[in-house]
Amino acid sequence: MSEAHAVANQPSGADGAVPAAMDRFTYDDAIVRKFAAATIIWAFVGMLVGLIVAVQMALPPALTWEIGGIRPLAWLSFLTNVEFLTFGRLRPLHTNAVIFAFAGNAVFAAIYYSTQRLCKTRMFSDTLSKLHFWGWQAIIVSAALTLPLGITQGKEYAELEWPIDLAVAVVWVGFFAVNFFGTLARRRERHLYVALWFYIASIVTVTILHVFNNLMIPAGLFKSYSMYAGVQDAFMQWWYGHNAVAFFLTTPFLGMMYYFLPKAADRPVFSYRLSIIHFWSLVFIYIWAGPHHLHYTALPSWASTLGMLFSLMLWMPSWGGMINGLLTLRGAWHKVAADPVLKFFVVAITFYGMSTFEGPMLSIKSVNALSHYTDWTIAHVHAGALGWNGFMAFGMLYWLAPRLFQTQLWSRKLAGTHFWIGTVGILLYVIPIYAAGLTQGLMWRAFDESGLLKYPDFVETVTALLPMYWLRVLGGTLYLAGVVLCMVNMFMTWRARPATYTETVHEAPRLAPTYTDEPDPATELYANAEFGKNLDVWVKGFWHRVWERKPLKFTLLVILSVSIASLFEIIPTFVIGSNVPTIASVQPYTPLELAGRDIYIAEGCYNCHSQMIRPIYAETKRYGEYSKPGEFVYDHPFQWGSKRTGPDLQREGGKQSDNWHVLHFNDPRQVNDRSVMPAYPHLLSQQIDFDGLTPRVRVMSMLGVPYGQAILDGKAPELARAQAKAIADNIIAQGGQKGLDDKKVVALIAYMQRLGTDISKPAPAAAPAGGVAKAAEKH
Amino acid sequence: MRLSDIMSRMDLTIWPVAALVIFLGIFILIAMRTMKRPGDELASEATLPLQDDTGPIGEPGRN
Repeated sequence: MSEAHAVANQPSGADGAVPAAMDRFTYDDAIVRKFAAATIIWAFVGMLVGLIVAVQMALPPALTWEIGGIRPLAWLSFLTNVEFLTFGRLRPLHTNAVIFAFAGNAVFAAIYYSTQRLCKTRMFSDTLSKLHFWGWQAIIVSAALTLPLGITQGKEYAELEWPIDLAVAVVWVGFFAVNFFGTLARRRERHLYVALWFYIASIVTVTILHVFNNLMIPAGLFKSYSMYAGVQDAFMQWWYGHNAVAFFLTTPFLGMMYYFLPKAADRPVFSYRLSIIHFWSLVFIYIWAGPHHLHYTALPSWASTLGMLFSLMLWMPSWGGMINGLLTLRGAWHKVAADPVLKFFVVAITFYGMSTFEGPMLSIKSVNALSHYTDWTIAHVHAGALGWNGFMAFGMLYWLAPRLFQTQLWSRKLAGTHFWIGTVGILLYVIPIYAAGLTQGLMWRAFDESGLLKYPDFVETVTALLPMYWLRVLGGTLYLAGVVLCMVNMFMTWRARPATYTETVHEAPRLAPTYTDEPDPATELYANAEFGKNLDVWVKGFWHRVWERKPLKFTLLVILSVSIASLFEIIPTFVIGSNVPTIASVQPYTPLELAGRDIYIAEGCYNCHSQMIRPIYAETKRYGEYSKPGEFVYDHPFQWGSKRTGPDLQREGGKQSDNWHVLHFNDPRQVNDRSVMPAYPHLLSQQIDFDGLTPRVRVMSMLGVPYGQAILDGKAPELARAQAKAIADNIIAQGGQKGLDDKKVVALIAYMQRLGTDISKPAPAAAPAGGVAKAAEKH
Repeated sequence: MRLSDIMSRMDLTIWPVAALVIFLGIFILIAMRTMKRPGDELASEATLPLQDDTGPIGEPGRN
């Protein structure tokens, strides 16, 4: 830790209140250099994995393309059948790497650079800064190792298992938040600039979201079950998921915008007032919008309507923020043509405007009915991620590089090339995927003249998209090529650094300890009662200006605001029984089905398959009876999914024979030559961990699932083995492979055959005395 | 009787609507007040990012 030294003269304090000592101090730019380097490295890794998963979606039919008797893409077959590289396992790696590694490190670089300067102080603790940096990188590496191994919670953007989640909490709160708020406490600038407000909101809200969405009970070192089930789990997940976008990918990047754009343009933000409104709109309104991810699902309609209304309210303030950003360049547009940093920022802010227009639009129920589960959402997300987050981060890196490495940027021309190649890459990505989303949505709901589904075979609605998927691969390749150019530019700039970095010593007066707020403005009323005069003073809103100088009070108010908003939505969803009407015939999964469900989660099947049939005619026609809230009461975690690259599986039980599933998992092209699903041959060779079922069943029982005698020693494995044998015998009877009694594929088939069938069973006369043990014996 | 039974019998459907009105109302109040603030009151705050010393930056890079 480097502390300031008081110097001789004693001028007045920063706010002019009381004479204070003049301090000398330096900034810790070494930590910013570390985070900046990590940003570009993880950008490459995360986007490379993104490119791989983009290829995987279009690849299977292309493996057999022939040119002159040669199959040029056949060598890529490992991307469709190697256990650790399947789409379901790599897609979470891509999203986690891009969000938490690339965007996360960019945010930290921005915060560590700007907070020191806005507070005129060094970070609170260099040790905490280093612990934060290395701790965060260790978390990213842990994610990169565990996700391909199938170690996952099965909740989007919250896949990491409990030991890593604990590490995230320690690093985020124990190292990062303490360091940040400690820095605020030691600041030498009384007023908190608006960028700091955005950082405060990000830090406290992400903490709340992470903790409450990840409440789970461990069932082993790498396995846990969410404390929430079904509807409630879905609600919590999308409260988290949407606000992760808000407070990880929006608010800190807005803080970045409000600091680095004025720096790059060399002029203050167009309207500071608008930035204040922009901030409060996100705190007061954004936090409510999560349920718009669950329109027409089993979520209570009041909750999703509330999510829609708050989303629509975001339109104006978000656009206000965008306009504020763009108008900051008033009188400086000539600089944009010459400065790659400003080019990146302008396009980023434009994409922010597009995304924040499109987001509320997609939250409108009737629009969402078409867009949900389609590639439209993917295009929307990538317009935001590649355009807004990516370009803000790259713009910042190019602005920081000469300052951090204390030399000229190696090549402005290369930065300009990165800008153009990246912009073309984004357009080549999003335009075809918007088209794919619309195509898919319209094909799903198309009927012929006789009232039947026009495209009853789901795979037709996938193969129609393949040309667009290949265009996406091209767009993604261009964007990744831009990242490589940025890496080269950063590396070469770093190489040209001085032998020793100059550490500039800054001076600023220490904040006076005896600071008193400015007096309230005088009332202009004279003939009113005292109450009226006080009200008039209050309405003038001077209190807000006072808050802007009190980080603790400001932080508490932000916490209060997001907490109250969240509780207003969460409490009714959890405690009002009518929100999740129970269905008597819905019973817990048998131990073998539970094992199968865990395999479904580990393989990341939810990345392509939903388990949620919306009450829309085209859906019930295609999949069967629409989903009911009471069907998911034992689903820890829920597996509703958010995208259908494959068909919905909610009513999959009983649709196909057991042996069909064996063939399908072994190689989907055996039963459907147009399928793009990966092959899972390892499921036919790997054994079920029967003995590991007991702790899992016991944890489920702790969560309130009535497992009865199945929790007794040895009972769950015994029940599972018996059910597995019955299924394996059935497979043989259907002409299938022998020797599958203890193989994972049997557990997964047990789960698949159970899906959505309870609702059509008769309600039991009374709950079986032995709980699920009795039920499993009957199965 | 469980908590959910008690809560179910209370008519809480108005809560989300009330919350919507309260949050929107507070936000509108803050927005109105903010827009009425005199521009010069915030002028010094707006220039805070431009006041710090960014250190040596060198000349524009090679093209």
